[in-house]
Amino acid sequence: MRRWFMALSIVMLILSTWLGLTKGQIVPIQRNILYVHVPNSIGALLGFAALLLASVGYLVTERQIYDWIAAASAEVGTVLASILNATGMIFSRAEWNVWWTPSPRLISSALLWFLYVVYLILRTSLPGSRRRRARICAVFGIIAFLDVPMVYISARFIPDIHRPDFSFESSWQTLALVLGIAGTIALAGVLIWLRADLLRRRFELENQLHN
Amino acid sequence: MKSAWSGFKAIVVKDLVIELRARQVLPTMIVLGMLIVFILRLVSEPSSGRVEMPMMAAAALWIAFLFSGLLAQERSFGVEQQNGCIDGLWSAPLDAGTVYLAKLLANVVILSIFEMVIVPAVLLSFSLRVTARWLDLVIVLALGNLGISSVGTLFSAVVQLTRTRGALLSIVVLVVLMPMLIPASFALLVLFGAMPEEVAGSGAMAFVGSFRVAQGYLLAFDAVFVVACWLLFGVVVEE
Repeated sequence: MRRWFMALSIVMLILSTWLGLTKGQIVPIQRNILYVHVPNSIGALLGFAALLLASVGYLVTERQIYDWIAAASAEVGTVLASILNATGMIFSRAEWNVWWTPSPRLISSALLWFLYVVYLILRTSLPGSRRRRARICAVFGIIAFLDVPMVYISARFIPDIHRPDFSFESSWQTLALVLGIAGTIALAGVLIWLRADLLRRRFELENQLHN
Repeated sequence: MKSAWSGFKAIVVKDLVIELRARQVLPTMIVLGMLIVFILRLVSEPSSGRVEMPMMAAAALWIAFLFSGLLAQERSFGVEQQNGCIDGLWSAPLDAGTVYLAKLLANVVILSIFEMVIVPAVLLSFSLRVTARWLDLVIVLALGNLGISSVGTLFSAVVQLTRTRGALLSIVVLVVLMPMLIPASFALLVLFGAMPEEVAGSGAMAFVGSFRVAQGYLLAFDAVFVVACWLLFGVVVEE
């Protein structure tokens, strides 16, 4: 099941890349990075939503699985947010000749990355019982998410230079982007699933060792 | 209700009396803050070309607040670790939220004392005049103080048993406070005369828009963070 999802997402990503480089190419050439940038930005945001839901789920039910899902979404989200910021900077340099500038959208993307990284550092440095660590991480996940609407959603309503003014000319381009988004989300979902499962198995093995 | 109030009062008074008698953290905070202001004043040498003094002053003020505030907040639950005082605190007939609010108030008071020293130091060393709008300045500083203290007090209780207490606290608090510092800087820049009352266009400052909106944002951040931290504090400290 998981293998099929993984294969499907990779096929979608390869197709999206191939379409983007052939029939769906955007002129000028640097704008083609959009096929990676936009899916990753959506994925990074969805990853944070998954982190929030898992954190709330853990605090409400105290079931260990939610903690593993939260940890897995943070790890996958860090990767997506890194790609988001890296591709964004490359595009910005090519399009506007600056690597970075404090505009609302760029600040919120950078903030997202920082929140993920601090979450992971906090996770690895907390001593004490597993339950206590899971609770503290869940609380940080919730408090950190309070930042996101204040910056991210309100940034949507502000005029911002950092969105190139163009629309898709052919349906190939739309198809390439949609495939990219679907592929990235599917891949992120599978990776979270895989990682959470790995954490569960490690926990079970540790339990067997101790008994 | 009455016992919650007296417990609240007892914790606040205890923390402030400890600080005033033993002077554990205020001198360090003030010296650190003044060093930050001093260093930033050194690099804003007018002969080095175009220097925006009010901008450097705003940066100096918020950096000094954040880092000195972290010292106070780390101390806030650090002081309870000696002789197992923390067990006494948790066994008191008080709910965790009340303990949080009491610790928060003590931190706000300590940071306010710090502000009374450091704000004149900044105004004098960067030769700024804000006499006409001192009330606005006080409001902005008070709102910033509450926001900084609210997040710091919550996570102070979290980091105590870790190996890298202060370092961990600093990254956790700074990353959560990052969005709040945009309207906070905006407000100070307006008060210091580095920016017009209203800004249009694009960019982070235009995102805030005007001085009144900046104050509104600060108020919203404070309200959200204080309520969220108050509600979640019990979850964090429960063993």
